[in-house]
Amino acid sequence: MNSRFYLSLMLISSLVLMAFLAIAFNREMTPVWKDYQTEYKETLIKNAKDDGTRERAEKIQVGLQQIYIKALNKSDRCTSCHAGVENPLMAAAEVPYKQHSGNYLKNHPLPKFGCTLCHRGQGRALNIAEAHGEEHQHWDFPIVPAKYIQSSCASCHDYKMLETEGGEKVAKGEKLFREKGCLGCHKLNGVGGALGKDIAGIANKAYYYFSMAAVVGERNMYSWIKQHFDDPRKIVPESQMRAFLTDEEADLLTTYMLTFRTDEMPRSYRLIKNIDKVATDGKSMYTAYCSACHSDGKTSVYDEIFARTIPAIRNPSFLKTISNSELKRIVKEGRKGTQMTAWKSEAAGLTEKQIDEIVKYVAKDRPSEKSRPFNVAKIKSDIERGAEIYNNRCALCHGEEGKGGENLLGMTLRDSALSPEFIAITVRDGRKGTPMVPFGNGGIGLSNQEIADTVAYVKNLTNDKK
Amino acid sequence: MSEETRDKDGVSRRDFLGLAAFGTAILGVVSSVAGSLRYIKANVYFEESKKFKVGTVENFPIGSVKKLDDKNVFIFSEEAGLFAISAICTHLGCIVSPVDFGFQCPCHGSQFNHIGNVIGGPAPRALEWFEISQEIDGSLAIDTAKTVSQGTKYLFA
Repeated sequence: MNSRFYLSLMLISSLVLMAFLAIAFNREMTPVWKDYQTEYKETLIKNAKDDGTRERAEKIQVGLQQIYIKALNKSDRCTSCHAGVENPLMAAAEVPYKQHSGNYLKNHPLPKFGCTLCHRGQGRALNIAEAHGEEHQHWDFPIVPAKYIQSSCASCHDYKMLETEGGEKVAKGEKLFREKGCLGCHKLNGVGGALGKDIAGIANKAYYYFSMAAVVGERNMYSWIKQHFDDPRKIVPESQMRAFLTDEEADLLTTYMLTFRTDEMPRSYRLIKNIDKVATDGKSMYTAYCSACHSDGKTSVYDEIFARTIPAIRNPSFLKTISNSELKRIVKEGRKGTQMTAWKSEAAGLTEKQIDEIVKYVAKDRPSEKSRPFNVAKIKSDIERGAEIYNNRCALCHGEEGKGGENLLGMTLRDSALSPEFIAITVRDGRKGTPMVPFGNGGIGLSNQEIADTVAYVKNLTNDKK
Repeated sequence: MSEETRDKDGVSRRDFLGLAAFGTAILGVVSSVAGSLRYIKANVYFEESKKFKVGTVENFPIGSVKKLDDKNVFIFSEEAGLFAISAICTHLGCIVSPVDFGFQCPCHGSQFNHIGNVIGGPAPRALEWFEISQEIDGSLAIDTAKTVSQGTKYLFA
């Protein structure tokens, strides 16, 4: 080792330091916004129609721009590149110089609202990728695509106003959300089924909350939500979601879902003209909570996704046999072993009164004449004989274990609360409008004794732990 | 040792290496320090902009006085032009209100005339006047970071 070695080391490290300094200097001196602002200024000077405008354009100082909003603790630097957002002279210019579309800025002045309050993205960032939060920028809330931007309006405005005053997309989405019965499986603010995820606050979930593996295109929350409507099982393989939507509907629902935010606006920002009332009549609630699976409730359909037949709960022949209190019990407690949610207030969050309304609506078309009673208790039954009949006659549709399910047309019979009489009447009279034919005298011709035997076997199945 | 190669100016190779090494090292340190100095003044601060837009000239018909409550500025419009006077008392920072003779401070009774000069009370200085400029989109902007001399009035098209 000699001084020459150390001198060389010093020279090399100093040169490396100088190189880094040069890079830093270059980066500091040529930020992307500087180019945009210079271009903006030059365009204005070039296109100035009168001396006054030219003079004012020449006075524009190129520099980092920032809108600081104390109430929101936001500092948006977007105008550093989007220099012309407030300038009517730039109405026909191209992005990023273009004036803001519509008259939104008139009612939402920049110094009060900034940009990211509505558009999201990273307000403090100073290059395009980071500011817009494009892929792999580790920014959870990238800039909202224009087609979903109305979702932000709902942070401060009510839907009745939005419907007529520039927020028709998010208002339509809100309506669609109820019509499509999303709440049948998804819980929102304490009400909704348990089959799907709780979707409260979903628009503020971090990137890693969503499984992006199968998302096509830009991988972010917006694409995920949209594409999970297009093909639920492609995005979430184990999903049981029933979504049959047009592309437009999926976009509207995505817009609405993006309103489920957790960051509440300060009061001084909110403008509520009307209190949005959620309809609480039986029909609306049936649509919101039941229709996603039961449709209109008139026909029973085998569902590929659920791998089970969904019963026709508004079928008159069914209603004839079942009382309102029995229906209410099923709605409240759900059906074990099926996808049917328990809707009681501790579970899916409906109140007694709401459930009563729904039951009333479901039972609306109950025929006036009741089913002929069937006093099963009086008949001494033989379980073994019942087993034979069951396996010959019933297992084909209801399954050997009486659970219904995959590729079976029948319902589950394993509900301990189903009364023997209810089962017996159904076996005897069948269920009109479904594949369940009458097995009693009017049909297949089983005697009351045989039916009672079968019922005894079915009730015995329920006790079976299998 | 004495056989070291020298160029015609008589600098030995080793000397040159030493000079270059120390030279770039010093240059590096100096430019690092100079570069760091640049960060003493930030590009932007986390505070509300001192300059704010107040709308177009049409918002200020001649003869009107407008007070911007959240900014504490009076904007006067006269035949001779527009001018902006601070509403912050130069004594302890209370907000003055307009009265017959000019402005009156509610806290310690300072009184100012129509152009902001002290005519009574403990205020040490006249109320400040601010620069008004016209932005490229035609709207007017007041910059409370830039005070102008009393009597500066602005005429805009």
